[in-house]
Amino acid sequence: MGLTLRIALIIVTVIYLFFILRAIKHKKVQISFSIFWILTGLVLVIALAIPNLVENISHLLGFELTVNMIFCVAIFICFYLIFNLNIILSKENKKNILLVQEISLLKKRVEDLEEKQKEKNS
Amino acid sequence: MKVLLIIPAYNEEENILRVCREIEEYSSEIDYVVINDGSRDKTKSILEENHLNHVNLVHNLGIGGAVQTGYRYAYLHHYDIAIQFDGDGQHDINYVKDICEPIIEGKANLVIGTRYLDKSKSSFQSTFMRRLGSRLISFMIKCLCKQKITDPTSGFRAADKSIIEEFAKEYPTDYPEPESTVCMLKKGYRVTEVPVNMKERVAGKSFVSPWTSIDYMIKVSLAIFIDSIGIKKERRK
Repeated sequence: MGLTLRIALIIVTVIYLFFILRAIKHKKVQISFSIFWILTGLVLVIALAIPNLVENISHLLGFELTVNMIFCVAIFICFYLIFNLNIILSKENKKNILLVQEISLLKKRVEDLEEKQKEKNS
Repeated sequence: MKVLLIIPAYNEEENILRVCREIEEYSSEIDYVVINDGSRDKTKSILEENHLNHVNLVHNLGIGGAVQTGYRYAYLHHYDIAIQFDGDGQHDINYVKDICEPIIEGKANLVIGTRYLDKSKSSFQSTFMRRLGSRLISFMIKCLCKQKITDPTSGFRAADKSIIEEFAKEYPTDYPEPESTVCMLKKGYRVTEVPVNMKERVAGKSFVSPWTSIDYMIKVSLAIFIDSIGIKKERRK
């Protein structure tokens, strides 16, 4: 990795970390999710701080090119993330349906009671 | 025996009043509840003006969510039998007696009103593609649950107290009819079929093209397969 590229990457990583930490500080992300994002930032920092670390690992694992390993790992992480989000989405969907049903039934009950009350009064 | 008709309705302004009046004429002992699934037409105002018993869903949920609301209503008000009944006038009210019979006699927990049974002199048998689709789904169900269900997509069904409770808790939203039938069979409930007559829609249109039938069939087969894996068989009497 050339020096210019390394410096550019370090700058990007710093910005990345800044945004993540800010989002966490403002409680835009749940703690359980924020751990994952801090970890990704840390991994980036470590990979950049120790020269030849990524190259050595990819060589050890038998990748012909370092980028191949990086892409491979990144894609796996993306799949994991998407799947996780899908699970969360399904759960939320279920909750939403339940809420709509319960609110609708409650509304009906309130309206029925109001009508009864009116009849009693008149 | 307290009997409730669950009528899911989405944009049924042309049919809903007639359907409800038919029910009132048929029997005064049967209650009904119309589940208005966020209709965009005048369904809501028709229901309100004519004082038809109804629940307005605050957001559109689709047929599965709407029907489940009906089952929740039935569960809340301790009904003994809940019958799903279409709001578009396809189902014949005169068969309500038939469809309740197996439950009253204690022979079944869930009764499906079937179009294709030989005895049925149904005037509406639906299109070729739909029948083929139904055949394939019923073949799948036979493989998975070892019981023949001739018309797994029928929306004319009666449920007893135990099934009402099950459906109030959990009801599939993607392909509610075949999926819920498979779930109940897998759980060991008794399911039977009764021949019924179905009419063609009097007003409004139903959207079914050959492609959607094939698409539907494939997805349903997959869905019931997945459903059947997750359920452990509970022995029931």
